[in-house]
Amino acid sequence: MAQLQNLPDELQLATEAHVKYIQSLDSRKDEYEYWLTEHLRLNGVYWGLTALHLLKKPEALPRDATIDFVLSCQHENGGFGAAPGHDAHMLYTVSAVQILALVDAFDELEKRGKGKAAVGKFIADLQNRETGTFAGDEWGEEDTRFLYGAFNALSLMGMLDLVDVDKAVDHIKACANFDGGYGLTPGAESHSGQIFTCLAALSIVGRMESVEAGKLGKWLSERQLPNGGLNGRPEKQEDVCYSWWVLSSLAMINRTHWIDRNALFGFILRCQDTEKGGISDRPGNMVDVWHTLFGLTGLSLLGYPGLDEIDPVYCLPKSTTQRILGSKE
Amino acid sequence: MASHGIARTNRSRTEEQRQQDLDRIQKYRDLDDQIQSHVKQSNYSDPALFQLTTKILRLNPEYYTVWNVRRRCLISGSLSRRSAGLWRSRASPSTSRSVTTKPSCAASSPSPSAATPAAPATSPSPKRDGGSGTTPNEKKEHTTDNAEGKEEEDEKADIAADTSIIQAELNFTIPLLIEFPKCYWIWGYRSFLLSLCDAILPAAAARDFWVAELALDSKMLTKDRRNFHAWSYRRFIVSALESTAKTDGSDGSGGDAPTTTTNPKSMTESEFAYTYSMIKVDLSNFSAWHNRSKLALRLLDERGADDAARKKFLEEELELVREGLNVGPEDQSLWYYHQFLMDHITAVGAHKNAEDNEKGTTKELIAPNLSLADRREFVDREVTEIKDLLEDYADVKLIYEALLEYAMAYRAMGESDGDAANQDEMMAWLAKLRELDPLRRGRWDDLEKSLKV
Repeated sequence: MAQLQNLPDELQLATEAHVKYIQSLDSRKDEYEYWLTEHLRLNGVYWGLTALHLLKKPEALPRDATIDFVLSCQHENGGFGAAPGHDAHMLYTVSAVQILALVDAFDELEKRGKGKAAVGKFIADLQNRETGTFAGDEWGEEDTRFLYGAFNALSLMGMLDLVDVDKAVDHIKACANFDGGYGLTPGAESHSGQIFTCLAALSIVGRMESVEAGKLGKWLSERQLPNGGLNGRPEKQEDVCYSWWVLSSLAMINRTHWIDRNALFGFILRCQDTEKGGISDRPGNMVDVWHTLFGLTGLSLLGYPGLDEIDPVYCLPKSTTQRILGSKE
Repeated sequence: MASHGIARTNRSRTEEQRQQDLDRIQKYRDLDDQIQSHVKQSNYSDPALFQLTTKILRLNPEYYTVWNVRRRCLISGSLSRRSAGLWRSRASPSTSRSVTTKPSCAASSPSPSAATPAAPATSPSPKRDGGSGTTPNEKKEHTTDNAEGKEEEDEKADIAADTSIIQAELNFTIPLLIEFPKCYWIWGYRSFLLSLCDAILPAAAARDFWVAELALDSKMLTKDRRNFHAWSYRRFIVSALESTAKTDGSDGSGGDAPTTTTNPKSMTESEFAYTYSMIKVDLSNFSAWHNRSKLALRLLDERGADDAARKKFLEEELELVREGLNVGPEDQSLWYYHQFLMDHITAVGAHKNAEDNEKGTTKELIAPNLSLADRREFVDREVTEIKDLLEDYADVKLIYEALLEYAMAYRAMGESDGDAANQDEMMAWLAKLRELDPLRRGRWDDLEKSLKV
């Protein structure tokens, strides 16, 4: 890591600027974009808060207000919407559970929310009992993102027994392709994002036996491009968010050393706005909290100094998953 | 909140720009407030609410809750009462979905009508009855001829009205889809509309919608050849068309000999041809190569291909990739498909042991009955061809990777009286990989260890 200390300023992590950027996100109500992205608000809180934890500034967002906001998004049926008045959906329900895990506030669900049992039931009811996969909401769109989300949230709450794990695992196997990767649904092309969701779901239930790690590792390592960045599929452009999807997948099959660490560090750090904070998809582009988180998780997975450790399966700090799930070692 | 490909600006606004933003915010929030207040009162049958959703979705098609509101407007207002019972549990938000409903609109669902809870999963034929509890047939027994005529006319009018509403909805989303081709919610809304067709329209009318949808999907794929939403959606439409074809009456009247292996409703041949047309335009289109890999086995089964035909298929496919490799050996897409074919020849995994073979693993191979000699010949030929590439492209690392890969697979086939390459040659290729591709040196280290074993 010695050579990193000698890098020019723009290749150092602009920790303070990033903290300020994340803190500023909820004070942008005079920007049109703030309102256009309301459907991502609860996800945004999860992305920002996790980023702050990695930056070792977990107190930078007020805990009480965070919990209040999360609970204000909950519906009678236990599910959460993106913001008050938005429909309940798996994507936001998972973010809600992750945020409550981060700030150690599951007890608030019982005290002031609809209770853990209702959340678990909302999620479990979205499983397709024939195929094992999960829908996002009552309207029925199904893909492996929702399956992973269900496993993530249910396992954090200790409620995996509500769903048919074997069927879900069979469904993931049906999403596997000849290149070792996984797609959104059976038949769909391998994509780094879906590889992450499938591997992480299998990891959560300890069912990695069907993963073709050698083949998949090759495919994942080929995502690194000469500029150090990673792409999500063959013959596509690099993007900071794949620092997470590809790298966490490599971590789950113990092959992060199959790509060049310093080259990826350089790429992620070149995507920073060192002055105003935040990380973008590619150097010189607009930053956002989503790319900020996935840039930081990438750095964390590769052991960038001064960052908290990220759990490649849950996309939460290891300190959080260890507190809830206990140490697996 | 997730910006892709938008150039960074200094993020400061002039007072005028700030004011413009505030005006836009005012208008947007005003629309949103009106929608929320309708929703609070469950006013889904009020046409004003439907109009409001149109306005706000044009400003923000990512607003998933509003797409749901629009769905509720359709099923509890605009559409004829034949749709009334379909989504009863979903007529208002926050109700828990029963585990017995079938939520799937995804490609994994064999029948699109299975996506609608009111339609029985066993029969893909659309039910004209909207779940009201009485079928049209039952009603007939209790009505006079006149009343029956009137009822039929009413029903025709209902169908015409529903057809035009669904058409208008599909039209509404097209400009949005073109502007936001990666928005999950728009694709999801269209698949909802198509399941609605199956549930409330006569089979032929519903089928017309699905056919048109395939054409739209092709158009989306000409705009972005790699859009994975469009590819997934394509597989979803095709499987729906294949399953509705079974009920269009043609298989009952034909009386074909049941021994035929060709399924006249299958679209495998035309979809396989479609992947070729996409590859011809752009060799790097891995999405098309991927779909080809998914169709290959089904194609051969449906053709009733014998061993010779299967062997020929492999030869032709290899030839096709090789043509591409001769002009673009840096293209990963081509090598992945090449790898796919070679896996079927070297059968890594399937021939690992006799027990696997007994389990039927070999059934899934393109040419399961190739002799060991045939398989060796295939690999030898490919290795020779790939070595030839080096004459023009000595610095393309993917070539060395493939050579090593296939040499190792050749070894793993066992009972070898020789190798596709000797150890020295393999170590030389590995050295070349280290030189050309230092980013992945950790992988080459691991590879070296396995070569020495």
